[in-house]
Amino acid sequence: MTMSSTINMVLARRPPLGLATRLLLSPNTSTPPISLVVRRHLSTSRRALQAQPAHNHGHDHVKSPQLGTGKYVNPYEGGPSALEKAAHLFFFTEIVRGMWLVLEQFFRPPYTIMYPFEKGPLSPRFRGEHALRRYPSGEERCIACKLCEAICPAQAITIESEARLDGSRRTTKYDIDMTKCIYCGFCQEACPVDAIVETQNQEFSTETREELLYNKEKLLANGDRAEAEVAANLHADHPYR
Amino acid sequence: MPSLARYIRGIRAVGIKEWWHQMQYIGDVKAGTFVGSDQFGNRYFENLNAEQEVPGRHRWVDFAQHDLNASQVPAEWHAWLSHIRKDAPPQDVMMQSSTPSWKAPWVENLTGTRGAYRPYNTVKPKIEAWQPKAAPRTAPS
Repeated sequence: MTMSSTINMVLARRPPLGLATRLLLSPNTSTPPISLVVRRHLSTSRRALQAQPAHNHGHDHVKSPQLGTGKYVNPYEGGPSALEKAAHLFFFTEIVRGMWLVLEQFFRPPYTIMYPFEKGPLSPRFRGEHALRRYPSGEERCIACKLCEAICPAQAITIESEARLDGSRRTTKYDIDMTKCIYCGFCQEACPVDAIVETQNQEFSTETREELLYNKEKLLANGDRAEAEVAANLHADHPYR
Repeated sequence: MPSLARYIRGIRAVGIKEWWHQMQYIGDVKAGTFVGSDQFGNRYFENLNAEQEVPGRHRWVDFAQHDLNASQVPAEWHAWLSHIRKDAPPQDVMMQSSTPSWKAPWVENLTGTRGAYRPYNTVKPKIEAWQPKAAPRTAPS
């Protein structure tokens, strides 16, 4: 094992000589820009690693001995030699490669999302603040079946019901303790009339704890404000429900 | 991609006044197409050119208030800004058709102010304090 090949293994997955030969061989043909070539040859990070075949790793050369042939097979044949492995060990090549990776990331543009102005993507199934919905006529949907109260794993929902003057059963108390809620979404899946939903609003943080003890009026107000978004998201998701 | 060339190109695109305004709030120069504004005057922009804006930062809002807050964005525009809906609310047919007539006006998160929500009981309390009833005392005859 010559010293140059050892250094090549040390510095990069591809030998730096390849850069020179490529530049020498094709000066007139359509070469990629020099910055692109340099970046491709100097980059050792994940993006470059995935573009290369996986058989560069040393342990892929280790064969498992075949059984039953009776012939001795050297499992280390074709792999890196002991001298090469010792060179990697004593020259701290892993540390150098790791530091090189950090240096690359230092010069890459950041992907910071400036939060209140820009936002990361949300799903139409995102489970945020709760709301009670109404029918398009304005009649409230909840029929006080108490399925959500029963399925709530955190037992955050409290419901009391009473018959209205026209004989329909409605809730008189629908309290959700948002400090207990774990936002699992079981309540909206249990609801037979799509009354309780979790809207996509996640900006409902409060200064005091008592503001998170929602009652029915607050939940209905949430639904009245965000009905268009909730209905549009339910429609976007309805083929999968 | 953030670079000096992009910064200068952004200043040339948006102008000095808008550049100063953006540097006070977003802290970056972002040039894009004006998509619309909501009832509060917040302006929404979009730039789908991946060479000029990093994908994921291609939709942004310019708040109308100085004391800005993420909950000042109404629900319909929140869906657009969070990349839930493809189209902006004025062009979104589904969003328009599902807007009810009884839609309540949007209010921002009022915690810490006098308009903050205070929980209260919506039913009659189960336990009431004992009200003693004493028979009227009559004079002995």
